[in-house]
Amino acid sequence: MSWHELENAPDDTAGSIFDPTPEHRMLREMVADFTRNEVEPQAEHHDREQTLNLPLFRKLGELGLHGITVPEEHGGAGMDATAAVIVHHELSKSDPGFCLAYLAHAMLFVNNFYHCSDDGQKARFLAPTLTGETVGAMCMTEPGHGTDVLGMTTTAVKKGDEYVLNGTKTYITNGPDADFFLVYAKLDGRVTSFVVDRASPGFSTGNPIHKMGMRASTMSEVIFEDCVIPASNLLGQEGGGLVHMMRNLEIERLTLAAMSLGIADRCLEIMVHHAAERVAFGQPINRFGQIQRYIGESYAKTEATRALVYSVARQVGPGRNNRLGSDASKLFAAPVGKEVADNCMQVMGGSGYCSEYPVERLLRDAKLLEIGGGTLESHQKNITKDLTREMTR
Amino acid sequence: MKIGVLLKQVPASDSRIKIADPQRGVALDDVKWEINPYDEFALEAALALLDAKVASDVVLLTVGGADTEQRIRDGLARGATAAVRLDDAAFGGSDCLGVSRILAAAVKAEGITLVFAGKQAIDGDNAQVPAMVAELLGWGYVGEVDQLEVTGAGAKAWRAAGGGARDVVEVGLPAVIGCDKGLNQPRYASLKGIMMAKRKKIDVKGAGAIGVDAGSVGASAALVSETNWGEPPARPPGRVLQGDDAARVKALVAALRDEVKVI
Ligand SMILES: Cc1cc2nc3c(=O)[nH]c(=O)nc-3n(C[C@H](O)[C@H](O)[C@H](O)COP(=O)(O)OP(=O)(O)OC[C@H]3O[C@@H](n4cnc5c(N)ncnc54)[C@H](O)[C@@H]3O)c2cc1C
Repeated sequence: MSWHELENAPDDTAGSIFDPTPEHRMLREMVADFTRNEVEPQAEHHDREQTLNLPLFRKLGELGLHGITVPEEHGGAGMDATAAVIVHHELSKSDPGFCLAYLAHAMLFVNNFYHCSDDGQKARFLAPTLTGETVGAMCMTEPGHGTDVLGMTTTAVKKGDEYVLNGTKTYITNGPDADFFLVYAKLDGRVTSFVVDRASPGFSTGNPIHKMGMRASTMSEVIFEDCVIPASNLLGQEGGGLVHMMRNLEIERLTLAAMSLGIADRCLEIMVHHAAERVAFGQPINRFGQIQRYIGESYAKTEATRALVYSVARQVGPGRNNRLGSDASKLFAAPVGKEVADNCMQVMGGSGYCSEYPVERLLRDAKLLEIGGGTLESHQKNITKDLTREMTR
Repeated sequence: MKIGVLLKQVPASDSRIKIADPQRGVALDDVKWEINPYDEFALEAALALLDAKVASDVVLLTVGGADTEQRIRDGLARGATAAVRLDDAAFGGSDCLGVSRILAAAVKAEGITLVFAGKQAIDGDNAQVPAMVAELLGWGYVGEVDQLEVTGAGAKAWRAAGGGARDVVEVGLPAVIGCDKGLNQPRYASLKGIMMAKRKKIDVKGAGAIGVDAGSVGASAALVSETNWGEPPARPPGRVLQGDDAARVKALVAALRDEVKVI
């Protein structure tokens, strides 16, 4: 049994929370095969070069993965949050950086856009993003406002048949590569969503921002200087942005948690193999209690993460609210991914620290999950607020 | 043209196989199953002809119980248009000839004119069934094919003939083609294919439905019986060649040619 098969063995997982239907099982096998054959071999190169592998990204489109949560009548696969979790989980066993670009596109842009757009907007923007021909991104964070997102200062003003946007967004995944942007801006002080084409006048992106991990996805500032977009690019109602944002953050956090699980699964496997093969003081190092502690604790925490993420996935979807579950998933999963990657490196000693093995890359990638899509502290804040509201009514 | 693909489920190639009982065979309870890898080349060859509109239908044919349906679904998700699972109490215990009789009858009953199969299945490694199916149908058979051109009337097939030489075989249709690695690159099931497979039906047919004589198949008709199961011999230890460079190279070439027979 190896890292791409953990959920597949034994054979009859269909009906479990991991693969609730035969379609989920086939999806997992497909993504696992694709990851092993096509994602794994390119991961190190794109981490080093800090580039998005666009041809590979388009292959995800050919496989139908960009529209995984979009209903079939609109060209997607019509699958649920568990399916989205499966894809992020499997891809992140090899290349979390590439997976983050997929997440920014398929979850932050496509899934969000689908739920807040009208038929005309779907006709203009959806089809090319489903194939991956065009890349999507989502702009929420600003240089002065991250966790304090509602303090955003980017503005939109209506002028006749157009909106004019001003402000700067930052840390935008896919910024350098994207064609379409889902943008939150304040219109008369109320958060409102727009779709913005890169070709719009007054639109620009900054230089790629270099980062510690997740380097197979690109990131930049997105700048609006009297950026003019047609009024038909308003998504939903004026002032409706907050609902879009909150609704989409759930699947975003859940799939980010699934990425952490993928990292943990992969690192656990590398750790177990290395500890069995590496000999020190005349015996395999897995005979040493200190090494056993790394393995035992990594396994237990990875399994707890798996159970949490997949059980929450069943309760996330359109028309449902589960902020508590999605915040809890990411709050728990993110440190586990990082800790298991770190444990793996410790078990490997010097070899783990060298880039010949994927562990140092996975450890760098894992850290992001404690920050992006909400910091650990923001999850603690949200959980406390939601629980207090629920329990002290 | 209707194409048939013979699809078998086998334990995954990286399974650790254990002998359950020397008289009865291997333990299969914890095994992860997959489509026989050579059958994947067969399926891809058929799907390519479907894409090229040379074929109108691609029908999967599997002899086996309900537990094989996951693999059949995988084939449907890749793009096969229909599937028949051949299942009957009378089929149990069939040897290669019995399985071939069942498949040949199904091929006939389905109105198929071209059959693709893996050159062998990686479980028993018998490499018997495709040729036997062809023989029973009175059709041509080309095995170990790694390059293929199909026209409406016939096929031209290439295969390795040893020592780097190539065999080129022309065969008229109907025919059976045994597919080898290198023939193509099997596709992934797309998500659309996976969702469409959900709506495709797997027909289950027994001896009566395909017109095979129940007495000619199954354990009682089997000509081959397995008598004993054992572990393969332990791998012999490695050998370090001695002497100066020239002598070692000479010894290595001789060993590769005469003992291992790879050059
Ligand atoms: C690789 C990467 C990709 C990203 N991709 C995107 C993207 O595609 N789109 C997008 O819009 N954004 C993106 N982001 C931005 C990300 O969502 C923010 O970085 C994150 O929300 C934190 O905001 P901040 O960086 O401004 O930190 P801050 O909000 O300034 O936080 C700094 C520290 O203060 C703590 N803190 C802040 N407020 C509180 C509080 N009330 N109570 C307790 N502690 C608090 C934080 O937890 C943190 O520890 C990305 C970031 C990274 C690093």
